[in-house]
Amino acid sequence: MASTNSDAAVADTKPFDIVATYNELLSSDADLTMPIAAIEALVLLLTQSASSTISETLDLLEKSTAHLKRSIPNPIGLSAGTDLFQRYLITTLQRPGQLGPAGDFKAIRTHLLSNGRLFIRRAKESRDKIASFGRGFIRDGSTILTNGGSRAVAALLQKAADDEGGHSAVRFRVIYVLSSTSQDCNHPNEEPEGMETVRALRSKGVPVATIPESAVAYSLGKADMVIVGAEGVVENGGIVSRMGTYQIGLLAKAIGKPFYVVAESHKFVRLYPLGQYDLPIEQQVVEFKSEEDLAEDCKPQSIADTNGDTSIKLPLCDSVDFTPPRLISALITDSGVLTPSAVSEELIKIWF
Amino acid sequence: MAEPSGPAPIAQASASAPSAPGQAQPATENSPKALPIRDSKPTKPTEDAPASTDGATDKALTPAELKKKAKAEKAARRIREKLEKEGGAVASTTPTPGAGAQARPPPTPKKDATNAGSAQKGPRAPPPRRGSGPLAQTGSVLVEQKKKKDDKKVAVFGHLYGQQRRVTVAGATKEVHPAILALGMQLMDYTICGSSARCVATLIAFKRVIESYTTPIGTSLARHLTTHLSYQITYLSTCRPLSISQGNAIRALKLFIAGIDPSTPEASAKISLCEYIDSFIREKITVADQVIADSAAQKVQDGDVIVTFGGSSIVKHTLLLAHNQGKRFRVSIIDSRPLFEGKSLARDLANSGLDVQYSLVHAITHAVKDATKVFLGAHAMTSNGGLYSRVGTALVAMSAKERASGVEIPVIVCCETIKFTDRVALDSIVVNEIADANELLPMGTPVSLVVRDPADAYVPPPPENKKGGARAPAPESPVVPHKTSSSPLANWHDTPNLQLLNIMYDVTPAEYVDMVITEMGSLPPSAVPIVHRMVTNL
Repeated sequence: MASTNSDAAVADTKPFDIVATYNELLSSDADLTMPIAAIEALVLLLTQSASSTISETLDLLEKSTAHLKRSIPNPIGLSAGTDLFQRYLITTLQRPGQLGPAGDFKAIRTHLLSNGRLFIRRAKESRDKIASFGRGFIRDGSTILTNGGSRAVAALLQKAADDEGGHSAVRFRVIYVLSSTSQDCNHPNEEPEGMETVRALRSKGVPVATIPESAVAYSLGKADMVIVGAEGVVENGGIVSRMGTYQIGLLAKAIGKPFYVVAESHKFVRLYPLGQYDLPIEQQVVEFKSEEDLAEDCKPQSIADTNGDTSIKLPLCDSVDFTPPRLISALITDSGVLTPSAVSEELIKIWF
Repeated sequence: MAEPSGPAPIAQASASAPSAPGQAQPATENSPKALPIRDSKPTKPTEDAPASTDGATDKALTPAELKKKAKAEKAARRIREKLEKEGGAVASTTPTPGAGAQARPPPTPKKDATNAGSAQKGPRAPPPRRGSGPLAQTGSVLVEQKKKKDDKKVAVFGHLYGQQRRVTVAGATKEVHPAILALGMQLMDYTICGSSARCVATLIAFKRVIESYTTPIGTSLARHLTTHLSYQITYLSTCRPLSISQGNAIRALKLFIAGIDPSTPEASAKISLCEYIDSFIREKITVADQVIADSAAQKVQDGDVIVTFGGSSIVKHTLLLAHNQGKRFRVSIIDSRPLFEGKSLARDLANSGLDVQYSLVHAITHAVKDATKVFLGAHAMTSNGGLYSRVGTALVAMSAKERASGVEIPVIVCCETIKFTDRVALDSIVVNEIADANELLPMGTPVSLVVRDPADAYVPPPPENKKGGARAPAPESPVVPHKTSSSPLANWHDTPNLQLLNIMYDVTPAEYVDMVITEMGSLPPSAVPIVHRMVTNL
């Protein structure tokens, strides 16, 4: 009863659209990751909302989070951020003292907001931290195979390239796997993701080879290690990442090359997938169709477009897969280089 | 059982220590006849509980009797030693160093022996002076008897036999509370079985103990109650070795008792203790089970074929919850002898309208063939991520992982954090529990099982046929206990070179477990030590 009231109140007084804010944040800042964008959107929501009690704040937060998760086709990445923020809020409120339940709510709110911003700033810096941790993995004369458009990987590789000519001249080569699926997506003319990184590396004098996904097994013999990014790191130490990462992991394992994952620790998600099909998102990757189905698909195109539900399905170019922990040699995060099994330890530390 | 006679067996040669109570007996009776009598007991297959009669004589001994027994044993051993040294020639002239301390002239051993309580020995006393023949015989009988006993212990597991299990309440010390006596009986005949159930039952019994406890004058509750409880604990552990969960609960309770302010009035201290126990049960088991069932049920999907082993209560909760949530899946229960814990699970699930398939563990490859997930209960989770559970669990987990058809089946363990331990288990040999080998005989099942089995084995099939629909469990029939009295194993005690091993648990290595669902969330098995540390620090 109370919830519907507050919901109505929010809708009436503040036409704040969390989903739009989130999307706007993501598109405005290329360096922003999904969890951070989610946190920033929530902080913005709190600054604009007129909530005056703790439970009202928590309620609002919960609703907006649920709404956000529903509206985004792949909420795995952002859920790491929203969970983290919610957890942080609750622990702050539970702490005794001025900011605890007994304290002045205004003070609590300003504290929360300022800390939220601080968190966002820190999260943005974490990529540099990862780069400094991971730099040691890139040795002279090594060849690195990577894929996707991970900014953390790009930061790491560029950091290593920057050092070249400096005190520790690291000469390395990069094999960049360019995804073919991203081309035939919404923007057919756009170059595959990762080309920006390729150009940046080449400009720094790093020899880069670009290969299609089908050539991974062929090229892996020439690589010394695989470094990939991740959208989310799950509880058992596996990663949810751009489609195609799993097969690279399997191939690396088969050929015996180390497989490293670069991820910020705010990407740790409280999620425990048991396999590829156990992810909480709907992906249309494997679709069986006969001639009849194809003919039918052409007809009701207009109806499907008007239907709001279709937007929730993940387009093929944004689809993800799950790389189980046994394929991962180590995770390079801003809290250090972790084995997959240490991820759950880190998560438990955050949550309890 | 061996404890009350502590000093004597310790002084004894270490080799004979483990089987002290058993071998001591003939010495007390001190006639060669004692041996056949003793041996004949376990061999009678028609008796309901051969073990109980056998054990009753063991347990019926009061501490005083035990003392006597020990003395007699000591005497017999001395004489044996003497015989070995002197070849049985001149007994009195060169006393062994040990005997020298007591410096007994020839009549004295006779007197000792009479003291030792063997009534028949008194009249026969004079002969020993001359030849010490009968006594020498006793010695050899002892050796023979020992060999015989040891033969029946499987060598690798020898260290696990240590304590004979208690079979009756007789011989319990006066401090043991009736509630504990009752619980002990229920534990020893598996009426209360399963790690959580044992833990809850123990805590409830302790509540009764605490309610009827009065602090003796001159001591404080915080100090004395712990010792009072330790009598109960010792008694319980003689009925059946304590489970990890029981141990953890007892540790928490003792810690709480030690934290009680000595100045607290007894009544309020008792009330706070009872409240603590209640909240402990609620938090660690009742609510924890609900949380676990909730999150485990989320892992059940439409069309799943779920394999489970034995009769874990939490797996039952999970499956029932998933069924109530409207998920459509099949359950394949793997069961094994001798406890047949899966039968009641099969019955309960089928009665609730689930599709159930029941088979024994030797049919595992068939059951695993079309499985999609494995749900397992746990007795304990060890710090290296190993799953310590009913024997056969490892077989199921490993078959699921190593299935030939390629795709791995996730193995999910449902386990409360109260069952976590800081121990490490590398194999199933070092730490385990050995139950009475007679349970392996069709006839030798404990009284309770004989009582329970017909209800479980004979009654369910008709309801399952009705309610379980078309998927009535086909392999049910071989499970029905045979009532034939001539089991080839019946007189295994007397059959040379035959050993029976009734082991209770096994360890599934961490790499065969994909996920552990606890009330603190889902973890990989490698996170067990962290969570355990966190839970115990709280």
